[in-house]
Formats: sequence, structure tokens, C-alpha cells
Amino acid sequence: MINMKLTNNSVSSTKEKSTMNKWFKSGSPWVWLSAGGVSLSLISVLGLLWLIASRGLSYFWPADIYQFEVQEKVGQPYTVIGEIYERESIPVAQLIHTKIKFDKDAETVERILVKTGNRELVSLDFRWLLMPQITTMTLPKDVVVIERRTNGNFYGFIDKVILSGKEVDKSELPTLVERVEKFQSQIDALQKKDIGAINYQLERLRLKEKKYRLDNELTIQRQAEIEKETQALKAEYQTLEKKLLALRTQVARDKLLVHAMDGQQVEIGLENVLDVSFANQLTFFDKVVVFLSKVSDFVSDDPREANTEGGVYPAIFGTVLMVLLMTIIVSPFGVIAAIYLHEYAGNNSLTKILRIAVINLAGVPSIVYGIFGLGFFVYVLGGSIDQLFYPETLPSPTFGTPGVLWSAITLAILTLPVVIVSTEEGLARIPASMRHGSLALGATKVETLWRIILPIASPAIMTGIILAIARAAGEVAPLMLVGVVKMAPTLPLDGNFPFLHLERKFMHLGFHIYDVGFQSPNVEAARPLVYATALLLVTIIVALNMTAVSIRNRLREKYRSLEH
Amino acid sequence: MISVTPKPLTSQQQVQDLTNLPEEQVALKISDLNLFYGDKQALHNISMLIPKGQVTAFIGPSGCGKSTLLRCINRMNDLVDSCRISGEIILHNENIYGKHVDVAMLRRKVGMVFQRPNPFPKSIYENVIYGLRLMGEKNRRVLDEAVETSLKSAALWNEVKDRLHDSALGLSGGQQQRLVIARAIAVQPEVLLLDEPTSALDPISTLTIEELISDLKKQFTVVIVTHNMQQAARVSDQTAFMYMGELIEYSDTNTLFTTPAKKKTEDYITGRYG
Repeated sequence: MINMKLTNNSVSSTKEKSTMNKWFKSGSPWVWLSAGGVSLSLISVLGLLWLIASRGLSYFWPADIYQFEVQEKVGQPYTVIGEIYERESIPVAQLIHTKIKFDKDAETVERILVKTGNRELVSLDFRWLLMPQITTMTLPKDVVVIERRTNGNFYGFIDKVILSGKEVDKSELPTLVERVEKFQSQIDALQKKDIGAINYQLERLRLKEKKYRLDNELTIQRQAEIEKETQALKAEYQTLEKKLLALRTQVARDKLLVHAMDGQQVEIGLENVLDVSFANQLTFFDKVVVFLSKVSDFVSDDPREANTEGGVYPAIFGTVLMVLLMTIIVSPFGVIAAIYLHEYAGNNSLTKILRIAVINLAGVPSIVYGIFGLGFFVYVLGGSIDQLFYPETLPSPTFGTPGVLWSAITLAILTLPVVIVSTEEGLARIPASMRHGSLALGATKVETLWRIILPIASPAIMTGIILAIARAAGEVAPLMLVGVVKMAPTLPLDGNFPFLHLERKFMHLGFHIYDVGFQSPNVEAARPLVYATALLLVTIIVALNMTAVSIRNRLREKYRSLEH
Repeated sequence: MISVTPKPLTSQQQVQDLTNLPEEQVALKISDLNLFYGDKQALHNISMLIPKGQVTAFIGPSGCGKSTLLRCINRMNDLVDSCRISGEIILHNENIYGKHVDVAMLRRKVGMVFQRPNPFPKSIYENVIYGLRLMGEKNRRVLDEAVETSLKSAALWNEVKDRLHDSALGLSGGQQQRLVIARAIAVQPEVLLLDEPTSALDPISTLTIEELISDLKKQFTVVIVTHNMQQAARVSDQTAFMYMGELIEYSDTNTLFTTPAKKKTEDYITGRYG
């Protein structure tokens, strides 16, 4: 009997074993494992995008403005007006030292972070409020958010609208704001374009004179000419300045009288006002409109207030321009190097060492490239260029200082291995019959390369360029040494001859994130901006990559039948 | 026993003395050709005359050196680093392995078609005029004309005349091989080398190409390598049998297949080995 049972047991266990074995042999565990791996990476990518997108986009969504009445344990009750930035629960134990009494059962207490703005009245933009201390919480209809050029947002109530000294109805306000906006954009255009151009020309004249003097070629005639031109420019400058002053007085005509949460009355000149909105009166549709206009301002405006407010247009421009320059530099060099390694270099140990060296170059930390760029390109190369071609500006350097050209070249070196490796792989994949076919028709090696090999290898070259762009657009560390600045007064591309100013410093989104997030006077206030900028950076890199990918796909389509 | 049906001799076609052809009938003269891949000798003392305007076939078991010999004629072996050659191949009274020979020019005179069709990933039109473009021809009318005549000579014109600017990769294997032949003859070579041109094709395409070869010899000297003895018998005027890098027997096709002089040849064509 016992024996029977035993055999039975062992039979069933071997059966189980064999089904297990079968399952393993069927390969389905590996399918599950690999599917799991894919979904894990998918989840992390989507999670990252979701976090950045939700935090970043909420920055543009007009928030409700609350009015809180707060009663602390001692002292008078007071009013706080602002938008809720964050809610969190903290353990009661953490607040014991404040000696505030809470519910005995409560283990945690909720507190909220309120952005109160009004920087000129209170030193802190933000304030933590404990929920139990808030007696009332309302959404006042007539509370106003005033976005200003300086001192950040103002939250409060409008008392009076004053048009050249006389009080007018509050309904006039939107037209007045619009009028100021119109003048302000005229002022901006005047300052940046016209006056900027005159200053640029004056500087060039000064340098021209200095160059003549250095070369001992400054004749009286030449000096007179330069003097004449300078005078003409200065006269032009005078008229422009008058125009500017006229505009300024126009802008300074009107004022707002407002009072803040603590009842203090403040006078705000309209020239300082960017936007006035009654946030609590907005319908959902209004909010969408505000949201979109804020997004478009963000990508098209210059930054204000040490980069913590305003847009990031110069940073977008700088990032894209630098990446494009990098691509223009790295592609030919990478392709030529790969052609040499694959087509011309003998298949010997020296070539192998070279190839390993190239691949390892991709593993060098990027900051090392930054130091190399600073030491070699900026100081040695740039310094020599200055001495040879720009002696008149010395001792202030032209190319001998970090700039967009050196950044592009440094990143080109950084991404060179990627282009070389993928181009070489592409060249190796081309069937020998293509070369033989071309050679047998009387083509030389060079002709075969140009007419057959390179076109067929072009998708692989594009792959290399895509990887290079992806790497370069996200790189920040080396750029901090060779050209990126917190605030660049002028774009590297403008209307003044020679239009593209490769020696200029530039702004970069990656560095902007670092700067705003960690170097700004008000880190708390800048956090949403960090997410918004990060979202923008990701979007731009994806857009650049997608362009390259679509070009590659078109090329692949053309040569598809060869891929087997 | 493989049944081989040689073409009947016509009255005009005399059996030629292949060792002693009059000079004007010789397209290529190969003398004492030795070829080494590194230390290994692949061709031993090959000497032969290839007559003009006829089809010469190289047959033999695989690895016998027939393709290597073919590639010597347009110096495609130059692409192999370890390859060394001694001896001469005379084309137009000039040794093609001479010092001052322009290899690109030589390959224009000696066109080649490979085992697998290798059209370039360009349009049919661009494929055909590739060689002409290399020569710097830009005149549209000349190019158009060359495309039409070459494609007609390659018996492909009727199939592709309406889609000359479509990608050549869209053609079938047999069409691709005829396109490659058209590409080779567009530059008006004197000699056309065919390296097992039908081995990657289906029987019907093979038949088309074989018919094409008989037409081509009116304009060009054709040298064909084939592992298919029936094909050699069908298309060639003379056949060379090679074995282990040596030229065993070379005579007109009828003689070689009906009354081979050498034992090895007989063994091969009767299917004892191969």
C-alpha cells in the first residue's frame, strides 16, 4: 500500500518536472522576460515624459487666487492672498517646537505653500500655511494678478486707474494696457534693431580707425572719412534717442493704484505692467486662451529678472543654432574619417588600434572635452586668430574667448566617434557586388565611392548624425567652459553684417535649466520653470531627431532592396 | 551520362585551329599566365587564343580556376590584395598587365557581368548610362539613344520602356541580369565577360539570357564561365575545360563534347566527377 503511494507521488512529481521543462523549452519564459524588459523601459520613458509634461505645462495654466484668513496662536488674524503651489502632509511631531495644539488623534497635519508675490512689500515670495490655522478660504472675484517687468507678480485689488493724472473707469484698463504694450514693442524694436545697429557700426568704425593706426596707414583723408561717418551715425543716434524718449514718456503716462493683501496701497506705473488678469473670473475657455498665449510667450520672449521670469527664446535659438553648426562640422569629418578607415587604410594592426582609439574616444567624459576645447580651441586657436586677424580689438578678445563656434567644434569632436562608427558599419554592410559592378564598368575607386558607395551608405551616415545630434543637444557640462552664458545680450544671428556672429556667446536650454533651477535667487519660484524648460528641451531634441529620422527613412526606402 | 546535344556544324563554320589563328581574328591572347593567391597557385601556365566575335566558354569543376581566369581578363583580381600574376594577356597588341595600362580604361573595353545580378540602387535609365556618365557624356540625346540601343540589344527594351525612371531594384532577377548586361554593353566594350550569368536565375530567364548571348556575339567577343555543360554546348563556339588551375583541353565546342582528346575531359563531360 505504502509502496503504491510512493510510486504514485514520484510519478506525479516527474510529470510536473516535465511540464516545467516543456514550458522552459517552449521559450515562453524568455518571451515574458523580454516583454517585461520592454514594458519596464516603456513605463520609465512614459513616466519621465508625464512628470516633466504635467509639471511643466501646469506652469502656464492660470491658477485660482485664494484669499486666506489666518489666525495664529498669538497675534492678530491676517490675510494672505496668492496661488496654491503645493500641498503636503507633515507629521505633527515635526511641529512640536511651535507649541501649536492640534487634534489629539491627528498624526499628520496638512500645510500648503502659497505664492504671494509682491516682492517689493515682503521679502519672501512664498509662505507656508498650516491648514488648521486657516479660518476661511475664499476665491475673491475682483482679485487681480499683475504680471510685471520687475519684481514679479503682484496679487491684490485695483483701487484706481489713472490716465495722465486723472482717474478713469476701471473698464478702460485693458485698452490702456494694450496701448502700453504697443509702445513697448516699438521701444524694444528701436533699441535692439536701430540703435543696436548704430552701436555696432560705431564700434566697427572705431576698430577700423584703430586698425589703420596699428598698420600705420591712417592718413588724414581716411581719418576725416571715419570722422564724418561717425558724426553721421551719432546724429542718427540723436534722432533715434529723441524718438525713444518720446515713446518712454508716452509709456509712463498712466498708472495703477492697487492695494495688497495687508491693505498697503501701491502705485504701479503701466510701463512696468505686462499683463493684468482677473484670474478668478476666467472661464475654462478663457483659461485655455491664457494658457496658449503664455506658452507662446514662453517660447518667443526674452528672459527677465535673472532668468526666473519671461521666456527662453534666446536659449532655444542658441541650442538649435549650436546643434546645427555641430552637425555641419561633424558630418563631413566623420564621414571622411570613416571612409579612410574602411576604404583606404590597410587592414593591419595600426588600423585596428586607430579604430579602437576612435571608439574609446566616445567614452571620454564630456567635461574633458570642455577643458580641451577651452585650452586648445579658445586660448590657442582663438588667441592666434585674434592676433592674426583682429589685432585692433586687443586686448579684448574676439575669438580668443568662449563662443558658439568653439562650442560647436568641441561638441563635434565629442560626437565624432559616433558618426565614424556608424558610417563605417554602413560601408561594411554594402555588398561587394556593388563595388565590383561599378569598377567593372571602368569606374575608379573614387568614382565608385562618390556615385555608388556613399549614396547607399547614406542611411547609415544619417543614423550616425542622429545619434550625434541626440548626444550634442543634451550636453551641458563642456559648453559651460566653451561658450554658454547665463544671459547673452545679443543672438549669434542678427541683421548686422556678417549676420552670423560665430564668436558670440550664447544661451542654451540645458544650461538654462541648471541656472534657473539651482543658481537663481528664488529656487522655489523657478521650479515649474525648470520643468517647463526641460519639457521644451526634450521637445526640441525630439524634433531635431525626428527630422533626421525622416530623412533617413526616405533614404532607406530608396535603397531598401539592398538590405539583405 | 549527361546528354549533350552539340550544335550541328554548318557548312560555313569550319573547325578552327585555335592554336594558330590569323591575327585579325584574335581578340585576346593569353600566354603563360600564372596566378597566385598568397602562396597558393591558382592558375598554371595558361596559354590560349580567344577568337573575335565568338563565344568562348570556360567549363570545369568548381574551384578549377575558370572564374579566376575570367577575372584576369579585366583585372578584377587586382582587388584581391594577396594576388600575384605573371605572364601576359594581350589585347590590341598591348599587355593588359603592362606598366602604363589604365585599369579603368581597360575595364571599359572589357565589360563584365557577374553571377548575381547587381543593379545599382538607381533608376533603370541611370543604371544603363552609368558607364557613359563616367566617360563624361552629358548630351541627353546621346544618352537616350544609348539607353534604347543597349536595352534593345539586351532584349529588355519592350519590358521596361515605359518605366525607365523607376528603380532598377523593382525588376525581376532575370530582368535585372539583362539590365546589367545592357549596362555593360552601353559603353561599347570589345569583350564581354560573363561569370556564370544564369546561375542565380530560373530556367525561363536562363533561356532568355542564352538567346541573348547568341545575339551578342555579333557585336562583341563573349567569354562565358559556366558550370552548366549543356549551356556551354548550347551557346559557345569553343570551349575550354579547366581542372585544378590548368587548361586541360581547348577546342571548338563540338569537338570537345563529342570527341574529347583528353581522358579528364571525357570523364568530366560524361559526369564521372564535377
